[in-house]
Amino acid sequence: MAASLSSSGSARLMTALARSSMLHNSFESRSLHVTAVCCKNRAARIRIGKGDRPLTYEQAHHPHQIAHRKGWLSQHTSNLKGVEGAAERTVEDVFIRRFMFGTFHGCLANEVVIKRRGNMLVVCALMLQKLPPQKFYFLIGYSESLLSHFYKCPVKLDIQTLQDKAVYKYL
Amino acid sequence: MAAPLALRRDFFSLARILGGISQLGPRGLSACSSHRKCSQTPFHFLQTSSPFFHTATYLSSTPLAITVTDEPDTLFQKVLVLVKAHDRAVLDSYEFFATMAAKELGITMGKVSEPPKDIERLTLLKSVHIYKKHRVQYEMRTHYRCIELLHITGCTAQVYLEYIQRNLPEGVAMEVTKTAMEKIPDHILEPIWKDHPIDDKSSK
Repeated sequence: MAASLSSSGSARLMTALARSSMLHNSFESRSLHVTAVCCKNRAARIRIGKGDRPLTYEQAHHPHQIAHRKGWLSQHTSNLKGVEGAAERTVEDVFIRRFMFGTFHGCLANEVVIKRRGNMLVVCALMLQKLPPQKFYFLIGYSESLLSHFYKCPVKLDIQTLQDKAVYKYL
Repeated sequence: MAAPLALRRDFFSLARILGGISQLGPRGLSACSSHRKCSQTPFHFLQTSSPFFHTATYLSSTPLAITVTDEPDTLFQKVLVLVKAHDRAVLDSYEFFATMAAKELGITMGKVSEPPKDIERLTLLKSVHIYKKHRVQYEMRTHYRCIELLHITGCTAQVYLEYIQRNLPEGVAMEVTKTAMEKIPDHILEPIWKDHPIDDKSSK
């Protein structure tokens, strides 16, 4: 009885292994068991946690809520139908975001919003009041002149300061 | 002839108001509005060549000179303004603004239509390596709004379009199509056979 049970158990194990997607050379070697990829989306999403992590409105909403509950962080016309120049604008945006993150290190309360009105680049950001105002003004003037000389177009910075980050919910 | 002169005087006052609003150069308009225009009307009004880039204060620069010419003004049968954007709410508010501006300036408006939106979809692989069966789809929506202006003169069209384009929101593109009316040339007003009666057919 015991022998037959063990043989049936091993047979069930073998059939289970055979049903898996990877094949094995011989029954003695260990086979690789691979399941289908878990197709959950992980892009721009912060996973639910213990409830102590503060999130801004921007971080709390998932990317499929864009144009529904979220707006756009970078507004220009090159992604419209029949308009070229999308790649150049995207590269400029990436550079501007890294530049802002580095210049105002630790002071950014939320994502940087980049708008293009005609020839002008308007960079809007929410800052925390970590630095004295004189340093803020110097950094604003420095980034404006540097970016305008770099991109050969007028660059304006619209900065608003807050005491703390605006928390939308805790996850 | 008095009508275009009167319009140009109105334009000067409007441009003074506009000059107080923003101090952008005219080359700023071309990046936002589309490249395709039936007639290229250059908007060279504020020829400011300032060495500094950022405009902290909004001051009007040199006052505009009124140009008075004797040549007749171009007449447009129809001026089509097509605005494109990703956001329908932005287009709604822009349409309200443009129609209100046209009503205040006394421009006859045709119909304001909304052509159907265009959706451009891309399907890409979700993973960096293999997993061909799992993909991600992105889409880019373009909404349109078409505003028609009927029976408008060249000066009025210039002023109205400049005002509209200076207040174009970010992320909105504009295409302007102008249908001009021209005087019929004199040599085709009368049919040719009236002056030259056909008598060579009888010889053949």
